[in-house]
Amino acid sequence: MTNLEKYIEAFAEGLEIDKSVVKEGLEYQSIPEWDSVGHMGLVAAIEDAFDIMMDTDDIIDLSSFEKGIEILKKYEVEI
Amino acid sequence: MLLKGKNAVITGCNRGIGKAILDNFAQNGANVYAVIRTESDEFDNYIKELGAQNEVFIKKIVIDLSDEEQVKAGAKEILSDKLPIDILVCNAGTSNPLSSLAMTKMETIKNAFDINLFSQMLLTQLLARNMMRNKNGSIVYISSSAAYDGGANIEYSASKAAIIGEMRRLAVEYGPFNIRVNAVAPGLTATDMGNSMSEEDEKIALSMNIMHRKGKPEEIADAVMYLASDMSSFVTGQVLRVDGGLR
Repeated sequence: MTNLEKYIEAFAEGLEIDKSVVKEGLEYQSIPEWDSVGHMGLVAAIEDAFDIMMDTDDIIDLSSFEKGIEILKKYEVEI
Repeated sequence: MLLKGKNAVITGCNRGIGKAILDNFAQNGANVYAVIRTESDEFDNYIKELGAQNEVFIKKIVIDLSDEEQVKAGAKEILSDKLPIDILVCNAGTSNPLSSLAMTKMETIKNAFDINLFSQMLLTQLLARNMMRNKNGSIVYISSSAAYDGGANIEYSASKAAIIGEMRRLAVEYGPFNIRVNAVAPGLTATDMGNSMSEEDEKIALSMNIMHRKGKPEEIADAVMYLASDMSSFVTGQVLRVDGGLR
């Protein structure tokens, strides 16, 4: 499984949404599932998928599908 | 064995109420990450024996709670074991001799808030993510009767009152994740801190207490255990006062 596939799967699992919804343009609070509660589920799923522990600043900055990819570079995860 | 198989993190374990909570949890079957500030052979031997007696693991985590980086590193050390964290008890605290606001430096007040409030908030922020992932958890803060009656100095009374505000907010935030958040507010307790009052102050304090005695650390630990365990599975956002009935 590629890192992109893992990333998409983490989004789908963390937000409890269909994979087809996970794509560029997906933003925090753009769908009902990505609210503040869903956000923590998403963080947990991304941390699990890539075996990392995100800093609080990054959790706050994780505002979109694209931003997440940028943040993961800090943790040496290239997507 | 009300906590059998649970994994708990307890701060301020090397003496007083924290040590009583550690004892209680181990006897009830919990594995414990025992957070302490100062290492000692005595504590190492103590947890080794306690763990063996009760067939649980007790792991020492050394954190100076006034140092944010140490709190983060300590949380990482705990989480690196990849175990579910079921219980967090934020017990560690600092207190100074009784003084008035006029005679207290802002630095002293800020330091007390760093240890009594902000470090607990940071530790909660870091460890609650594990609980959220597992959709299960119980967090217990140790506040104080001073939060209600101002019976201690300004920085202690104010920071312990702020803990109650933090607890109530987090009960709301974490409720959807099946994480309960409560606090215990001890009155004057027979610990190093509770025994450091002048004779006159102690006399006044005990006269305000219906039972006219200090609490025992074990009595506070029993209340913490109740809130940490599934015995209180429908209790959240509450302060349990264990103060001998302050008037």
